[in-house]
Amino acid sequence: MNDAVLRIVDGVERGAAIRFRFDGRDIDAYEGESVAAALWASGVRAWPGEGDGGPPSRAVFCAMGICQQCALWIGGVRVEACRTPARDGLDVRTRPRSTEITP
Amino acid sequence: MNARPIIEPREGYDVVVLGAGPAGAAAAIEAASLGLRTAIADEQVVAGGQVYRVAPGIAPVRADQERTDGDRIRAELGAGNIDRCFAHRVWHVERANDRWHIHALGPEGPRTLHAAALIVATGAQERHLPFAGWERPGVMGLAAATVMLKAQRMLPGRNVVVAGAGPLLLVVAKAIVDGGGRVAAIVDAHPRSAWFASAADLLSRPDLAARGMGWYRALHSAGVPMHHGCLLRAVDGDAPALRASVFPVDREGRARADGKAVTIACDAVCCGYGLMPATDVTRLLGASHAFDLTLGGWHVVVDDDQRCNIPRLYAAGDGAGVVGAAAAPWQGRVAAMAAARDLDRIDTATHASRAAPARRERIRAARFGGVMTRIANVGDGAVASLASGVTMCQCERLTRATLDAAIADGCATVNDLKGATRCGMGPCGGRLCEDAAARLIALATGHTRTEIGQATGRPPLRPVDLDALAGDFDYDALPMPATAPL
Amino acid sequence: MTTRTQPARASADRYDLVVVGAGIMGATAALRAAQGGMRVAVVERDGAGSGASGVNAGTLSLQIKRVALMPYALIGHEWWRRAGDAVGFKRTGGYTLAFNSREQALLEERMTLKRAAGAPIEFMSSAQVRTREPALSDRIVAASFCAEDGHADSTRTGAYLRGLLRDGNVELREHTPVRAIDHGDAGFRVTVPGGAIDARRILIASGAWTASVAAMLGVTLPIEVRVNTVSVTEPGPQHLHAGIGHATGLLTLKQKASGSFLIGGGWQGRGSPATGRGEVVAETLLQNLRLARFAVPAIAHARVMRSWTGFEAFVADHYPLAGALPGVADAYILTCVRGGYTIGPCIGPLVADLILGRETALPLFEPARVMDSGARGDSASLLASARG
Repeated sequence: MNDAVLRIVDGVERGAAIRFRFDGRDIDAYEGESVAAALWASGVRAWPGEGDGGPPSRAVFCAMGICQQCALWIGGVRVEACRTPARDGLDVRTRPRSTEITP
Repeated sequence: MNARPIIEPREGYDVVVLGAGPAGAAAAIEAASLGLRTAIADEQVVAGGQVYRVAPGIAPVRADQERTDGDRIRAELGAGNIDRCFAHRVWHVERANDRWHIHALGPEGPRTLHAAALIVATGAQERHLPFAGWERPGVMGLAAATVMLKAQRMLPGRNVVVAGAGPLLLVVAKAIVDGGGRVAAIVDAHPRSAWFASAADLLSRPDLAARGMGWYRALHSAGVPMHHGCLLRAVDGDAPALRASVFPVDREGRARADGKAVTIACDAVCCGYGLMPATDVTRLLGASHAFDLTLGGWHVVVDDDQRCNIPRLYAAGDGAGVVGAAAAPWQGRVAAMAAARDLDRIDTATHASRAAPARRERIRAARFGGVMTRIANVGDGAVASLASGVTMCQCERLTRATLDAAIADGCATVNDLKGATRCGMGPCGGRLCEDAAARLIALATGHTRTEIGQATGRPPLRPVDLDALAGDFDYDALPMPATAPL
Repeated sequence: MTTRTQPARASADRYDLVVVGAGIMGATAALRAAQGGMRVAVVERDGAGSGASGVNAGTLSLQIKRVALMPYALIGHEWWRRAGDAVGFKRTGGYTLAFNSREQALLEERMTLKRAAGAPIEFMSSAQVRTREPALSDRIVAASFCAEDGHADSTRTGAYLRGLLRDGNVELREHTPVRAIDHGDAGFRVTVPGGAIDARRILIASGAWTASVAAMLGVTLPIEVRVNTVSVTEPGPQHLHAGIGHATGLLTLKQKASGSFLIGGGWQGRGSPATGRGEVVAETLLQNLRLARFAVPAIAHARVMRSWTGFEAFVADHYPLAGALPGVADAYILTCVRGGYTIGPCIGPLVADLILGRETALPLFEPARVMDSGARGDSASLLASARG
């Protein structure tokens, strides 16, 4: 199976096309989508977990802010990707940059 | 979003409603119509809960019934005299000085709402049954799949295994097929006949029953393979090349001795086993709860007017017992009426005449939803058959073997197990694992779920950014209590 | 063997000693008494170690111990060190920080006395501290350090104690609340659901619930209860290696191997042992978090995962009640030990020694002193009299 198109196109109106970065990689998305869904559509399923402890890191498991597995770093703040609207130019990371966490 | 800024009345609100799904929205609208100063809070940016969930900016070209119903609720909420605190994550609720203090983190920072009465309408959450590989990328819940399909308008995969129990199986499978994807298989824990066990209750909503039958037939004619009376045992492989292994089970969910595993190639797995009431807030507040599988398991106990056993606390919607979206608004209205009565804003006679028909509608509307809940239940045998290496608690990476050992060592309650193994102490707060862990205890000890209990509720209700909570502060102005004794 | 809810027994069980409370106090006392030849039963209303013993922040720091309790703390600390991996013991070292001149003066005065009492504490400049722990605030003006300080995982207390009691031939009955206690010529009859336990002697080591248990014997104890708040953050990047304290004692902060931060310091929630529940008070939680944030800026974007409260019993002089229960022969109490997590494994066995009729290696703390008609005096004289 290839990473074929997952967005449902027929009968759907979407917002403007946008682009954000995920660990430096370009991710194409649409306004209104969650970061998690956009990652999923781009073929991102998971990334390395946080340190020694903590749940697995997956783009989608519960999709509603419960499992915390989609938590990522944006601007040094840890957010649930499934509850974060994708925006043009967002810098999404799986690890915080050291400068962001020692204000 | 709000057209006007939210300024809490100086005396606080009469009613704050937590959750803007069908129950909460109806409660807020009713409360406002009765003249109560009302606010509603929800984590999402718009109302709708899970049933009518939408992502702003993504819309169907032609609205379906659900979209239409949801839009109507959103419009009614917007038109009412109700302060809408959307995108507010409520992290703690306290009771002090005869009122409720609802601590939330919103887009502008921390805010606390004060209320004389609190209506909790936070809905339900998915019940999970662990299996080997449920922590693998490419596996998601059934409820998650509905979020992806309905709100994000996205397929979970192009060749999806849909597994578990309950009405969401058909909902998800149909939505995948309608969206142009392929369903590799439907894996239903129950035999076909289970759907017809409560024919009379199903026919209380002939429209919904017909819709469900229609979906079933359409999926069948589309050639979707259906495995009835089977459980998902394992998922192997690396997304998108996954292999789902399913196994026939008996009525208790135990693997059949004569059964043969079937392996299904797929690129995503969506699985879930019904809905359970979300009891976070009511547990945190120490309200009385009861365990009843016909209502989805643990739920807050309410009287005929949706009152909890704590004064001025009410619960409406699936949190008081999973009976579905049709009953939810009636519960919300009954709760709001009770609050209005308890706050002496309507007299007994007015209350009685208004509440009686609402209570009747509530009962009628719950019949169909009640069936859906009962249908989703899978026996504890499903947990009994789990291999010892299966991950039970994903957050803390605990296997069945670890939990079994702690239970053998004397852990008899969920709280015991939590203390001994850290099961349920991770970021998800036990929402993924507590039910299955409790079932393990039940299997080993023979104790009832009531004896086994629920985990004690603790704040924050969801993880919250420390800096956002702390805000700006001046060290020298921190109110330090007395220094520790020397 | 651990026992679950018991079928009613035809006759009561007979023991030399019944201990009420299976926290660190009760359990270590019970073990010592059993080692001394007594037949011992422990009754516990919830699970072993489910009170303060199991919900505290896990801090094993000599720097936060009271001067007069330092000898006890040193012994208790050693017990935890030997328990090792079973309780997640880590010797991380610990710093106590001061952020202004008032705190610096407090720090210098207190740590000098604690060092004299036996704790290996040294003073450090803020530059030295920040070299070793770069994640700390740049507003530190003074600090002290103790290499022996560390922590354990308090959630493991229960399981650990359960194992020790089982191996020590002590009968442990969990989920067994005490309904009544009768005192007769033959000793004590402790009524529990489904039966009773008879014992020659009784030790009440029920933490915040001690007063209500003592009341069953007609004794009123002026015990008050603190509602201490502890918080834990999600796992995240490792910033902090040693434990952190504050000159005032109002902050404890540590980062576990998992990356989670544990934040404590005795900020007060709300609640009462009578209802069994404590509530986190948002306002005091926020102050606690602010203090933590100030001390370790890197904690800023950790997400708080869970906050809870634990009850801590105390009496007005903040010294233990450890010894004979006033007015009741063959009855003893052990509670109100500030720093009890560290000190418990020392003082529990001392009380057992008293019960066994032996001389105690360190003085105990006469409960009678807090009674209206009992001996009064300031703490110094009470300790002096205990030493005889």
